[in-house]
Amino acid sequence: MFRSRSWFSGGWGRPKNLHSLEHLKYLYNVLSRNQTVSEHNRGLLVESLRSIAEILIWGDQNDSSVFDFFLEKNMLSFFLRIMRQRSGGSSFVCVQLLQTLNILFENIRNETSLYYLLSNNHVNSIIVHKFDFSDEEVMAYYISFLKTLSLKLNAHTIHFFYNEHTNDFPLYTEAIKFFNHPESMVRIAVRTLTLNVYKVDDTSMLAFIRDRTAAPYFSNIVWFIGKHIQELDTCVRNDADHQSQNRLSDLVAEHLDHLHYINDILCLNIIDLNHVLTDHLLHKLLIPLYIYSLSSARRKMSANDTATQRMSLTPKSSHHNSPKSHEMTNGKVSCVVALFLLSQVFLILSHSPLTQTLAWIILKADKSVFESGVDKLHDFFEYYERRKTEDEASGSGHSERDSDSPKENILSDKTNINITDEEKEKLADPAEGAASLKNFPFLETVYEALDCTENDYAALFALSLLYAMASNEGVTSDITEQVLRPKKLYVSKNSDVSKDALYNTYLVEKVLQIIIFSCQPSCRVRLVTLELALKLFVQLTVCDGKTVLSESHRNTVETARVQSMALLRNFYKSEEIFLDMFEHEYCDMSKGSLNVEWLCMDSAILLPPTGTPMTGIDFTKRLPCGEVERARRAIRVYFLVRNLVLTLNGEVETQLPLTNPQSCVQIDQALDLNNSDLIACTVVYKDGAKMRRFLVIDILQLILVEPDSKRLGWGVAKLVGFLQDIEVTGDKDDSRCLHITIHRPISGASSNRVPLLNAKFVFDDNIRCMAAKQRLTKGRIKARQKKMQHIARLLEIPGQSGPPSPAFAGQGASYSRSARPTARAENRFLFNINRGPGFAAPRRESSPGVVHRADESMRRLRDGESPNRAPNARRDSGRKETRSKERVKSREGSPRMPRPRSEEIPLELIKKAPQSIIDMAPKITILPRPQTPKIANEPEPSTSNEPPKETPKLDISVSKETSFIAEENGEETEEKL
Amino acid sequence: MSYAYLFKYIIIGDTGVGKSCLLLQFTDKRFQPVHDLTIGVEFGARMITIDSKQIKLQIWDTAGQEAFRSITRSYYRGAAGALLVYDITRRETFNHLTTWLDDARQHSNSNMVIMLIGNKSDLESRREVKKEEGEAFAREHGLVFMETSAKTAANVEEAFINTAKEIYEKIQEGVFDINNEANGIKIGPQHSPTNPSLPGSGSSGGSQGSGCC
Repeated sequence: MFRSRSWFSGGWGRPKNLHSLEHLKYLYNVLSRNQTVSEHNRGLLVESLRSIAEILIWGDQNDSSVFDFFLEKNMLSFFLRIMRQRSGGSSFVCVQLLQTLNILFENIRNETSLYYLLSNNHVNSIIVHKFDFSDEEVMAYYISFLKTLSLKLNAHTIHFFYNEHTNDFPLYTEAIKFFNHPESMVRIAVRTLTLNVYKVDDTSMLAFIRDRTAAPYFSNIVWFIGKHIQELDTCVRNDADHQSQNRLSDLVAEHLDHLHYINDILCLNIIDLNHVLTDHLLHKLLIPLYIYSLSSARRKMSANDTATQRMSLTPKSSHHNSPKSHEMTNGKVSCVVALFLLSQVFLILSHSPLTQTLAWIILKADKSVFESGVDKLHDFFEYYERRKTEDEASGSGHSERDSDSPKENILSDKTNINITDEEKEKLADPAEGAASLKNFPFLETVYEALDCTENDYAALFALSLLYAMASNEGVTSDITEQVLRPKKLYVSKNSDVSKDALYNTYLVEKVLQIIIFSCQPSCRVRLVTLELALKLFVQLTVCDGKTVLSESHRNTVETARVQSMALLRNFYKSEEIFLDMFEHEYCDMSKGSLNVEWLCMDSAILLPPTGTPMTGIDFTKRLPCGEVERARRAIRVYFLVRNLVLTLNGEVETQLPLTNPQSCVQIDQALDLNNSDLIACTVVYKDGAKMRRFLVIDILQLILVEPDSKRLGWGVAKLVGFLQDIEVTGDKDDSRCLHITIHRPISGASSNRVPLLNAKFVFDDNIRCMAAKQRLTKGRIKARQKKMQHIARLLEIPGQSGPPSPAFAGQGASYSRSARPTARAENRFLFNINRGPGFAAPRRESSPGVVHRADESMRRLRDGESPNRAPNARRDSGRKETRSKERVKSREGSPRMPRPRSEEIPLELIKKAPQSIIDMAPKITILPRPQTPKIANEPEPSTSNEPPKETPKLDISVSKETSFIAEENGEETEEKL
Repeated sequence: MSYAYLFKYIIIGDTGVGKSCLLLQFTDKRFQPVHDLTIGVEFGARMITIDSKQIKLQIWDTAGQEAFRSITRSYYRGAAGALLVYDITRRETFNHLTTWLDDARQHSNSNMVIMLIGNKSDLESRREVKKEEGEAFAREHGLVFMETSAKTAANVEEAFINTAKEIYEKIQEGVFDINNEANGIKIGPQHSPTNPSLPGSGSSGGSQGSGCC
């Protein structure tokens, strides 16, 4: 419809050079001859306007006379004249006109050109022009035009837009009329514009904004947010079945947009503006709607029967899980929604006057304050603040003195240096016990919400609110101390006082309850709630990197640890992919700890907790569904609680992940392969590329090496993969061939599951081929068993390690002999070959860097707590075998029948090169972890029976269990051999 | 001008990668880049045809607004498609892609179609990022990839239209909730018999004060 490029056809005396003053002059003539827009000339006009933009920008960069001409002829006035015409498809022309202006203002680089364009107030006339805003295209171009102009604002250009004498600022006042436009992009543009305006440092302009527009604009915003959250609340109330997740997520995202916008304004630090905005927010939204919604439950209750107040601490579960049960009276939202929204407020806003007030009201406002009504709350806070300042001024600015304030009858003021431990514990909590708690109406609601007896719906929000308050930068420590953070005491003179800090014992116990709850089978606490509870727990009790937890609370944590372990033990090997799940969950967890801000962006948590994955809700944010997910959950709970224990003890993780990247062979590492088993093969890739390599099978890894050109008998690793991730199949047509797929190890980095290698291996003859296949298959099983044993030890499953029991004797012997390949054969049948999968090989005291902390406690456990498990592991394993038979298909690699074999292929010895050689290439590290310092070239502490000078063995667990042939391959292998 | 659907796009990427030039090149092809004149614009709209349906593309450039978190997150949320642009002659613009992508993924709705664009393909002699690298990045992150030149207009058309095609396909598959405008998709005025009260469909005169969507 645009007659594009029509001007190329020439004629009408148009200059040849499109970018020239002459061409602009020509266009000027066109405009002056076509001052009335009609059906006939609108195409021409659009073309001309477009060309004018192009010439002006060219002129801006190349020829100043172009701009001179433009101004001299007052060409912007033509623009206005065209705009003001209502006929002949003016919107079509208007759009081009606005776009021309956009292009002009966006691309002009020369300051003077910009000033010229703005100088004669035409731009303001264009801004106030009443376009046809019902045309969405006009609207979009118009608002983009305003936004583009706002990006050009600075201390100089502001004067072209803001007229100090007439007190007129059309750019701003016209724009904010659209702040609630239904089109989201328009709203965003308005917000951008306002922020760009506020950013300009011009006192009189800002005074104008404050005096003339701030109150109406901000109160409008606040009013709309209020209206908005009522909608949100209705949405939550009416959707127990997760039917309107989309709508809810929009509403939540919208609320976040508002908060972020407010935060962006507050962060500009314009004092006057912030004052007005904070005032509006507190008095018209946050206090009356958000905070007072927290009190609804209590108020109703106290109205009913004062006697029930005593029960306020007993679980009132009905109140938590069904917001519907609360009448929505005088514009309150449900407690759940209020907690959620307040969490968002504390997570996003950090403007101290605002968050400080809110935190004070929630944590410290007592009943008297509460009863005096909404309007008084803020005054009370100000009174409190004044007291504090006075105290500080008078030189006694000790935070404890604050509590002398009559408005703050908190027990903590009695905290004294010379009191005993017990007393301290009692006094530690401002809200200790029901008696005092009921004096804090808002805090009480928050605490009540922590109850998980029925479910953790409200608990999650209560936790996030408490966490958010404690982490908010705007909230000073005198408010959070002792409620949300440990309170440090000045070290007492009598050294027998062990504690040097107090913490909120009441809250800690509440949180501990959640943690203990989570470790029960079939509990209704979601993983995310547990993780958040643990986060808060650390915040509550860790002071300067040290825990201040009392002995009894420590014991509770230990109980939780033991229970989480017991919980997971139930699932150990009950799922055939247990190992993969275990590693995957660990990987997933190591990606980073819970981001509470992100959590509170998710609207899915606003609906009552559900178990079904069909809602599309994240696994951690719902209850497990089915046995596999229950196992996953148990794994997670175990990791989370384990992590807490480590944090509290100030220890670093030394046992996980199961694969220690530092003990693995890396690509390009040089290896001493003298005396190792090497199988020559040709690797044929899918694309036909061929490579001659030697196959080496290590305890955990498959390594393809090529000979090291520098040293005889050494090889350089060209490809490494984990044995546990391989798939091997024979070739039906060629008995010398194997198809090998090596999957990528589970890693947090990417979800890319393209195999590391997928190729055909051609061996010299079918014997080599069979040997390779057998060893790969066996290697895979053994690698997995090894890890399963590691898990068993972590879970303190009896019989896995510790002092060798009689049943392990044979294995122990085989192990010690493993360094001497010649001695192996006769040892073969000493094994109990019937052991169940995963129970097999003696766990060499391996996993470099591992400290067997678990062993001792395991032994204690075994002696005391598991009468069913005889110390005799042989009997134990016999029992297991029957079990494994019952589940024939339970996992691949389970031996179905003992199959003593005559052929034994010793696994090779691989000697690692000294560090200096290893370093020849960049290392690939998989999940580095903090590790107890370890000499890099001594991966196996257990090989210390070797002369220290010699290069230590990489891994030499010799497979004695020739019976261990994967079910699916066993028979075939045997036949062929 | 009537249309079946309106798709909202955003363009993201480091400054100076040619976002606004791409936008202008697509929405107004008549700007022929001569005399080394680079012209860009922050907003543009254009009609295209897919499957013999008229589809209007609205493209919003987010340049210069990165300082405000509220703005970027809202932009992402309101878009159905995003062009993530880097400059093949500046390695650092490629290195920043992950950050941009993380941001986009975090704030946008999960169905947003993201196209990776290596711009300035006309400057072969100054190339710092290989085409293969762009391809690999796109493959790894599940994006569609293309190298373009706002200068020669190579692939510009395709970049925008292919993105639209993908959005269109997602609509056909029922992945997008088209009645939810927050997704950056709008049904044309005459195409929404089910929802005549769709705001902004061209009838409401006063835009101010009408309810929140």
